[in-house]
Amino acid sequence: MSVEARSLPMPEPAPESLATLDLFALGRQASAARDGQLGRRGTFIRARQLLASGGWRGPRDAAESTVEEADLAAVGGLPALRAAGIDLLVAPADSVQARAASQAGLRILLRVPYRLGEDDRERLDRLAAIDQAAYDVWGVMPAPVGEPYGLDTLRFFALCRLALPRVPHLLADVGTLGPRLAQMAFGFGADEIFAPIVAERALRLGANAHNPSLTRKEAATLIRGAGLAPCERFADGTIEEVTA
Amino acid sequence: MSFAQIRDKVRAAETLSFEDGVALYQHPNLMELGALANEVRERMHGDRTYFNRNLHINATNVCEASCRFCSFARLQPGDPAAYTMTLEEAWGKLRARVAAADPITEIHIVNGLHPGLAFDYYTELLAGLKRIQPSIHLKAFTAVEIFYFAKKFGMSIEAVLQALRAAGLDSLPGGGAEIFAPRVRKKICDDKSDADEWLEVHRVAHRMGLRSNCTMLYGHIETAEERVDHMLRLRALQDETGGFQTFIPLAFHPDNNALMKLPGPTGVEDLRTYAVARLLLHNIPHLKAYWIMLGIKTAQTALWFGADDLDGTVQEERIYHMAGAATPQVMHPTEIIRLIQNAGRTPVERDTLYNVVAEGAALIPDKPFRRDVRRSLEVVS
Repeated sequence: MSVEARSLPMPEPAPESLATLDLFALGRQASAARDGQLGRRGTFIRARQLLASGGWRGPRDAAESTVEEADLAAVGGLPALRAAGIDLLVAPADSVQARAASQAGLRILLRVPYRLGEDDRERLDRLAAIDQAAYDVWGVMPAPVGEPYGLDTLRFFALCRLALPRVPHLLADVGTLGPRLAQMAFGFGADEIFAPIVAERALRLGANAHNPSLTRKEAATLIRGAGLAPCERFADGTIEEVTA
Repeated sequence: MSFAQIRDKVRAAETLSFEDGVALYQHPNLMELGALANEVRERMHGDRTYFNRNLHINATNVCEASCRFCSFARLQPGDPAAYTMTLEEAWGKLRARVAAADPITEIHIVNGLHPGLAFDYYTELLAGLKRIQPSIHLKAFTAVEIFYFAKKFGMSIEAVLQALRAAGLDSLPGGGAEIFAPRVRKKICDDKSDADEWLEVHRVAHRMGLRSNCTMLYGHIETAEERVDHMLRLRALQDETGGFQTFIPLAFHPDNNALMKLPGPTGVEDLRTYAVARLLLHNIPHLKAYWIMLGIKTAQTALWFGADDLDGTVQEERIYHMAGAATPQVMHPTEIIRLIQNAGRTPVERDTLYNVVAEGAALIPDKPFRRDVRRSLEVVS
C-alpha cells in the first residue's frame, strides 16, 4: 500500500515563541507539522555508505547510497560521487561542500549539533542559519555533542521541525540516541529513523552493546509503537507501508 | 470509554476502572496521555522531584529460584560467577561510605534465595550495618525473600519480619512482584512466591507499621491487560493498608538471560507505562523512574510522564547491570540535581520515608549538603 504525503496548510509559529512552549505543546505542534507535510508516517531505508577507503558499509542492493562529507576528498571529491551512484551527502551543519553537492544533484542531510546547557534561543539561532542556507536541505539530523539529556533531545527535535518548515525530513539517529530515544523523537516531529537496516541483528551484548543496527521488523515496530504508519523508502522514491 | 471521558474522570478525581486502564494503554496519542499524567503528577507534587543518597548491597546472587528474566542469579554456590559476601565484606561497603564522609541515608538490600545461609546471616547483616551507622535506613529483602525465609526457617511471615525488624529492618523494597497474572508467572517465575503470597507479605508488613514499595516488571511476555490487572491489585491492597510509598515500573532487560530473544520495552512503551501508572494508581503517592533500568535519558523524560522520583545515587548495583543495563553504577548527587533541574523540575533530597533532607539553597551543587532538620520535622509531624 502506498502512503501518500498530504499537503495541509500549517500555521508556522514564530521561532521566538517556540522557546516558551512546554514539552507537550512542542511535541503536539511538531507532530502536527510533520503530519501536515508528510502524512502520519515514519520511514526507514536500507542504505549503504561509501567509506574513505573506497569500500562500502551496508548491503550491496541498498536503496540509497550515502557519503559523509569528511570522506569526500578521500573518495575523489564531488565529481566521483555521481559515478559511484551516491544519492545523499551527510554533512555538518556548517558544511562547506553542501551547496556544490546540491548543485551537482545530491540531496543534503545536515547533522545539527546541540549541547547540554544551551538554551532554546541558541538552538533556534543555529536553526535559523540552516533555514537561510543557499541550497535545498533534504533533511536534518540532531547530533548530540557530549551528553545532552533526554528532554533536551526531544525539545531539540521539535524545534528542528517547527523552525525549519522548508526542510522536509527530520531523522532520528539510532547510533547517537539509542533506540529508545530515537523512537520517542517521532512524538516530537521526526519522520525517519537513521540506522543500518540489516537482515539479522546480533544481540546487543558486550562490545556489541551499542550496536545501532535494526532489522526491518524492528524499525517497523519502533515506528508503529510511536503511533505512526511504518513505511519503507525505496530507490525509485516510492514509499510503502510495512504491514507485517 | 473515550480518552476525553477518562480525562474527565481523572479531573474529577474518580477512580479509573480496568477498562479505563486498558484504553489508556491503547490510546494512540502519547502526548495527550503524557500531558494528563503530568497534570496528576503536578497536582500531587508540583514540580518537586525526589532523590536520595543510597547504597545497594546485593549480598549474594546464589538463588534457588530460576526466574527466566533474571541475569543476576546463579543456581549453585559453586558456579564460577556465584558469590556470597561475608558479613565483613557487606559491612565494609558501608564502612567505605562512612570513611568517605558520604552522607547516605539508605541501604537497599536485595539478594538471591540462597539455600545455604542461616537466618542469622540476615539478622547479623542488618545489625552490623546499624552498629556502623545507627541512623541508616535499611530497606531490605523483597517480599519473595521474606516469604522464602518463612518457609525455609519454619516461621510465620510476621515472625520473620519481627526478627528482622529487631535486627534493624526499617522498610521493604518492592521487588519480586514481576507480573501477578498466573499465566505469566507460570512461564517466567513459577518456582517462587505467587501473587497472593507477595501481596500477603506486604499486607503483614503494613499491618506491623512497616512501609514498603511495589514494582512491576514490564516489557517481556505480558499483555497490557495483565499490566493493568497488576496495578489494580496493588491499588486494592493500598486501599486496604495505605502502606505503599512508591510504585516502580521496572523495564525488562533482555541480555544474559533465558528471555534474551525478546526485544524488551521501547522508549514509548516506557513512557506510556509511567503515564498509565500515574493515572491508575491515584492512591500510591510516588512514582519512581528508576534510572538504573530505564537509562538516564528516559528516566529524565519520565519526569514529565508522571514520575516524581529518580531513586538515588545507588552505587554498586548488580542485578540489572548483569542483565545488560548500560547505565553507570553510581550517579553523583550533583548530576542528579542537574538532571532534575534540566527537566524544569525542583530537586528535593529525601530520606526513604520521603522526609525532606535538603532542598533549595541546601542543594546548590557546589556546596556541601546540609541536613535541614527543621524541614524534616515539619514533614514528619
